[in-house]
Amino acid sequence: MARSLANTVLKGIIGSHHRAATCRTLCQQGTIAYYSVSSDAGTHDDFKSISKLADSDISLKDVVEKDVKENPVMIYMKGIPEAPACGFSSLAVRVLKAHGVPIASRNILEDQELKSGVKAFSHWPTFPQIFINGEFIGGSDIILNMHQSGELTEKLKGATTSNTVKRDD
Amino acid sequence: MGVSKEDVEGILTSAMKPTHLQVVDTSGGCGASFEIEIVSEQFEGKKLLERHRMVNAALAEQMKEIHALSIKKAVTPSKWNPIPKVQEE
Repeated sequence: MARSLANTVLKGIIGSHHRAATCRTLCQQGTIAYYSVSSDAGTHDDFKSISKLADSDISLKDVVEKDVKENPVMIYMKGIPEAPACGFSSLAVRVLKAHGVPIASRNILEDQELKSGVKAFSHWPTFPQIFINGEFIGGSDIILNMHQSGELTEKLKGATTSNTVKRDD
Repeated sequence: MGVSKEDVEGILTSAMKPTHLQVVDTSGGCGASFEIEIVSEQFEGKKLLERHRMVNAALAEQMKEIHALSIKKAVTPSKWNPIPKVQEE
């Protein structure tokens, strides 16, 4: 469990834009060493070895909570934004990209425990899963629907101009 | 044994009492992928996310076997046949 958790974090959040800020924050927590993330960080060997997470009590819930708190637009998906591994994930990324916002992501195909953890966190059975300002938005159908209705534009305004975290309790 | 279109229809019909329900099997026969349009009074006053959650909850058991569930529409009867929208800005 601990090792897998470490992998979860070490595989890192892959942003379509530079996500150095996220990494730095993780670093400040003293959980992992600083690293810079490139677009192929998810598979880079450099990210597989360093870890103090094995000794920490960070849980998957904490990982997800942190992700969605620190990243205004967070997507848990199959594949990565540059190469989605599923049509639904691809659709969600395309919708978000159309709004020109920075997207942080994790590839749930790389980690079964992360996948289960995210599902448990959101009580949502499928992927992708999108969080905006810490609020669970839904999957690809919902994001497309909100895009078409104009609601997404409103939601994302807050995501780019404010760090306010709203909870979907 | 996979989940059939009829299974999904049956479950949603008894759980949601829909006035309109369309289930399309998009799996090409293996029964693991569906598109759904559902209209029900039970969605009244519920937000989009909540409406989707209701459908997911009804199909919770089947979701273990369903690979992909796309909810194209989950609306109330009043939203289903809307009077042509007059958008007032």
